[in-house]
Formats: sequence, structure tokens, C-alpha cells
Amino acid sequence: MTCFRRQDLDDSSLTQLRLVIDDSQLPGFYQILQAGLMVKALVGCNTKSFLTQQLGISPEYITERIQSIFLEGRPVDDLDSAMIHDGSHLSLSAAMPGLVGATLRRGGVYGALRSSITYNESDSQCEIAEGCVHLKLFNLLMKELGPDLLSKGIYLKSSHLAGFLSGQPLEFWQGCKEILLNGKPVRPDFLEKENWLSGYDLVYLSVITAN
Amino acid sequence: MDKILRIDVGATGGPKATEVPVGEYAGFGGRALTSAIVSKEVPPLCHPLGADNKLVIAPGLLSGTGGAQSGRISVGGKSPLTGGIKESNSGGQASQVLAKLGYNAIVLEGKPASDDLYKVFINKDGVKITKDNSLKMLPNYDLIAKMKAEFGDKVACISIGPAGEMKMGAATVAFTDMEQRPTRHAGRGGMGAVMGAKNIKVIVLDATGMPVREPKDPQKFMDANKRFVDGLKKHPVTGQGLPAFGTNVLTNILNEVGGYPTYNFKQGRFDGASKISGETQAETEKKRGANPTHGCHRGCVIQCSGTYNDKDGHYLTKQPEYETVWAHGGNCGISDLDKIAMMDFLDDNYGIDTIEMGATIAVAMEAGLAKFGDADAAIKMVHEVGKGTDLGRILGNGAAMTGKAFGVERVPVVKNQAMPAYDPRAVQGIGVTYATSPMGADHTAGYAVAQNVLKVGGDVNALKPEGQIELSRNLQIATAAIDSTGMCLFIAFAVLDQPDTFQALLDMLSTFYGINMTGDGVTDLGKKVLKMERDFNKAAGFTPQHDRLPSYFKTEKFAPHNVTFGVKDEDLDKVFNW
Repeated sequence: MTCFRRQDLDDSSLTQLRLVIDDSQLPGFYQILQAGLMVKALVGCNTKSFLTQQLGISPEYITERIQSIFLEGRPVDDLDSAMIHDGSHLSLSAAMPGLVGATLRRGGVYGALRSSITYNESDSQCEIAEGCVHLKLFNLLMKELGPDLLSKGIYLKSSHLAGFLSGQPLEFWQGCKEILLNGKPVRPDFLEKENWLSGYDLVYLSVITAN
Repeated sequence: MDKILRIDVGATGGPKATEVPVGEYAGFGGRALTSAIVSKEVPPLCHPLGADNKLVIAPGLLSGTGGAQSGRISVGGKSPLTGGIKESNSGGQASQVLAKLGYNAIVLEGKPASDDLYKVFINKDGVKITKDNSLKMLPNYDLIAKMKAEFGDKVACISIGPAGEMKMGAATVAFTDMEQRPTRHAGRGGMGAVMGAKNIKVIVLDATGMPVREPKDPQKFMDANKRFVDGLKKHPVTGQGLPAFGTNVLTNILNEVGGYPTYNFKQGRFDGASKISGETQAETEKKRGANPTHGCHRGCVIQCSGTYNDKDGHYLTKQPEYETVWAHGGNCGISDLDKIAMMDFLDDNYGIDTIEMGATIAVAMEAGLAKFGDADAAIKMVHEVGKGTDLGRILGNGAAMTGKAFGVERVPVVKNQAMPAYDPRAVQGIGVTYATSPMGADHTAGYAVAQNVLKVGGDVNALKPEGQIELSRNLQIATAAIDSTGMCLFIAFAVLDQPDTFQALLDMLSTFYGINMTGDGVTDLGKKVLKMERDFNKAAGFTPQHDRLPSYFKTEKFAPHNVTFGVKDEDLDKVFNW
């Protein structure tokens, strides 16, 4: 896994892209949400606190909807003890089918079946600090948590964003009501070229729906 | 349902059909019935393609009723791939239609006297068997088009493609779906080769004029069915996740936890996972005018199937399932959904198990026959199988055969059957089931069915190391029972989480047959099925040493978590101690 840290996100020369899009184009961004993005955060807190206080997700939603949580690529059973660090990778999923879906579920009876990869916290004494968290949203959560995350703004590898935009069909660009690059309007054909972000590792993206 | 149709393919003058009462097999359905007939009537040491083996096709206990999710059908026999007993099940229309026609099972037996190929037509008036050599080597889609032209668009078909006729170890038995496409398959274990050895190309079923099977207590059955459907619909997996994304929704999370076997089980993460995930697949289907939410048989309320169109918006294949996308995709280093969908179509058309085929291609890639990631080379290999070239004959007999032919050590099989899409080093509990299932490496052999409801063998302490053994045992027992009802295994989550939904399932069985089905009854049935299967395998020459994973799983560290399979052999030997 590529790992960026807070200092990478604080680069003042970072390119900023703001898109105002038609609602119907939101599913196009699911590719970004599942492949992974970054957010600025206060780290050194536990996973539950990160989800509720920083991402603004309700405890009820976490209990009922986010059935599988992975930290550093390992299934988490205890959200209170699993700590978020600068550069942590966190992924969220709704309940999944099959034996393995049940096995990866948080705190489920089948947890024993994957005990060799279960997340166990080794650094519970870390301090609160500014940091970067790598985040992925899967399946039902993309639609339910994605719009809020995209509107607040996310950080992406430039190559990912360039690849994503260059592969979009005409309808996608027709659904873009406004495109601001570093605060200035640009035409879609500029973003369709893959080389406009060359020279940059990261880009800041915010996506607002117009209706 | 009170009779069995036996077709003696070796009878003088050609195959002869005889209807016999269900007799001693009464009360069995699906897997329980196929395994009961095979274990009683098939000599364990017989050749799987010889006169003594039988192919048993059995609908479930509730098939042909108004009950939801009751359309699975089981196919059993001695497996040409594993050499042991096999039950492989499928969706599609045939289960409902066969049950409405009143048959508990069709049994193909004997050895053909000639090379002639036959088709079987069954309707309310009886059985007609016709020689039809024009069907020889027809792929499934072409075959079904001919059957539709001859018998109309209401029939359900059970068929084999060229792989079955060539008696390959990876050959499937195909079942048509609601649109009369041959997209559903009893894929595992080479049951298509057994059908091919009987020279039966296709069985056409027409239930026109036959009523839905009537329960003993219609009102209570209807009530139980409603509670069952409500339970499925309200659960986030069966009511939302599966309908929206299909089974391929598992790609992202398996990849995330490093349990997604990639490049022939070398590592647990694939860079191209998000390009072939269920989420991406569903969006692609919607954009192209296909449908990601669709049932594989009438009476399905989960709707985890779908259709996949090509870039021009034309139907290419049904929505490829997780196992298929993994086998032909991540496991071979391929991240092009269109190429994976093409292989899914070719597998269905030639009649080949997608899991075995994908695993075989990965072994061939490891042998140097093609580079990992070369989708066109992978497609060419599937064609080699369908055409029966010298190479295709090797590939079509599975991963173990291919590994031997090309000198590959790393061959992920148990009892010669390729492992599915979950690495047993990351999810060790599933490795216990891969190792010990009588079926060979099989992800559906130990399923998430109601551990906390059934409490098979009492409560399990999941924190104890032996919990993995106990859980695998209990899951295998529960799965054997569910497979016998003909219910889709995807009911598992709703049943697991919602005791009232499990009770509704028991009530459906009880009110239909006028019995008192309990959780204990389900457990007893599962144990009985497993015992029959284990006894057959033992008599066929299987020993505890066959209940093992290949040794490299114990020594080769699996990235990213660098884990090895750590369950001890002596613990594996305890799985069936109950």
C-alpha cells in the first residue's frame, strides 16, 4: 500500500480541483471511493472516535450498517482499542455475503476463522496530532457516505485522478456544471488530458452536487 | 413428488426410461438424495466414466412449490475429478420444473452400447428419448437455441457442452435460466463428464399443465413463506447488498484483508481489484443497459444474478459471479472486465467450471504457457479446451492434471479439485473446510448457516484455537442439510442473523410435509449426509492424508500479512468427530 503522511497533504502548492456536478454523475466517483483516497484528520484517537467525531458518522449507523472495518488491511473487532495513526489505512464495508463475508464481520461468531489476520493494537499510547488517513468505502457505503466525503474534500494521487477523468464518457462532462482548477474555471477538454497533473504527487478534490 | 425416473442408457435398442416409486429414498431431496443414491448404488471403486457410475439429478424438498428461494438442483455421482463422491448444485429453472413434473430425481445409469447421442424430453404425458447425432459437439448456447426451436420457449433444459462430451474433469452440467439461456451450472467435480459418458446431451423439461406442488397446510405454508421472504428482504445482505452488486461484491473486501489469491495463490492483494469489483461491474452493466439485479430462477427474491453487455450494449453473458471474476481475473493477473466476461461466456458455452478453468489457466501461466495478465492468451486457452486440442484436453481436466503435465509444484487443489477464491492462509477456518470436505476444496461446503441458531455440537468458543475445527464441522453439517432442501445458500445471512427467519424456513418445511421439523432435525439430516459421503470416500480409497492442503500452504508465506496455514493435521482429523 502506498503511504502518504500529513506533511504530504500540507504542501501549499497542491493543485485544487472543485467540480460541481449533476446528481446523476455521482456513481462515476464510486471508482475513486473504492480505490482509496486520503483525508486530513486528528490522529492518535481510536477508530470509533475518528468515525463519529471526525467523519460525522452516527454510532447507530456504525453499529447497524458498517459491519466490517479494516485497519491496515486487517479486520477490526474492537473499535475502542484500534488506534488511528498518521498514514493509517482504514476501509469500511456493509455486511457481506458468504462464509467469508460473515468471517470478516466485526465481532462475529466466525472471527476465529480469520484470527491470524485480525487487527491487534500494538501502540495504544499514541498522542493526538494532525495526520493523514487513507480511506476506502465499499459497496452500499459508497452511496451513503460518499457524497458527504466528496463535498468536504479529499486528497488523491494525481495519477489516479488523471486516469479517472481521462476515462470518463461525454455524459460525465455534460453533467459537470462547473469546473474550478485552483479557483479558476477550466474547460472539460483540459482535464481529459492525462498530463495536466504531471509533476504533482497529490491533488485536492472536492465534488459538489448541483441538485 | 413421489417417483424417480431411471434411464438405462445401456438397454437393448437404446436408452430406456422407467419410473419407479421413490421408496426408501422418501424424505430426501437435493444433496441428501443424490448422496443417498450414489452411496447405496454406486460401487466406490468403479470408474467414474464406466457402467457402474450413476448421474443423479435431484430437485430440493421445496422445489416446485410456491416457496421462495427453493430452486436449487443437485447433481451427484462419483467424480471424475476427485475420485470421490460429488454433489454439485445449481440455480436455473430445471429444479422447479422437474419437481412440478413429480420427480424426486432423474438417474442416468448403465453404459451406452454405441456412440450415438440422445436427447430426452419429459412432460406430463411421459418421457421420450430420441437419437440425435446432429447435436454432437454443439456448444450450450447453440444447443439450447435448437431445443427452443423444437420444444418452445417454456421448457427448461439440462445439458452438456463439448467439454462434457469429451468427458473432461472440469465439465459442467448446464441449466437454463428464466430467459432460457444456459447460464447456470453444476460446475464442480466434472459431473458433465459423467453425463457425457452416458451419451445424453440434453434433458428437456416441460411442466405445462402441471400445477404448483400443494402443501399439506396451504395457509400455514403461505404464512411461513411470507415471513421467510420478509426476513430476506429486510436483511442488508439479501435485501440490499446482493441485489445491488451480486456476489462479486466480495472482491474489494477480500482484497483489502489480503485474502484474495492472486497470480496463482502467490499473494493476497491485486492492484487491479477495484477495476473488476462488484461495484465497478454493476456500474458498467447499468451504463451499458444491462441489469445487475436479476434472479436465476423463478421464486428468487434475492436477485443476486444479472446480465452483462458488451461495449456496444449487446448481451455477452450473465453477470459473472465473484468466483468467476476472481478465477479468470485476479488469480491470472487480469483486470479487464470485458475479457473476464468473455471467458465466463465461453465457459458456459463449452460447459466448463469457471473456478477450475481459471485456476488451471493460472497454473498454466505459472508453467510459462502465457504471461500473467495476458487476457487474450487466457481466452485462447479456453478455446483450446472447447475445441479439444491436445493442450485443451490437458487444461480441461483441471489444475491438478495441468500441474502434472507441465511440472508445476504450486497447484492449489485438495482431492484434485481447485481451491476457490479465498486463500486458506488468510482465512484459516475456510482452509479447514477445503481440506476436510468430502467434495474437495469447496467454499460452499461449510457455509455461514445459523451457527448461533443451530448450535450444532453446543456453543462454540470462537476464541479457542480449536474453534476453527468446531466451526468448520458445524458449518459443514448445516450446509449439507440446507443443500438437501434445495434452498439457495444465500439465505444464510438472513437465517444467521434473524432467528425468526430460520424458524420461518423450518415452518415452511413442516407445513409443506405435515411434519415437525426442528433445528435438531436439520442437524441430524446434515450429519447423515456427511456420514454417507465420508463412508463412500473411505471405501473409494480416501484416507486422512487426503484431508490436507498442499504442503506449500504450510511453508510459503502469504503477503501482505505473511501468514502460513497453521492448523495441525491432528486437528484436521477431528473435524468429523461428533
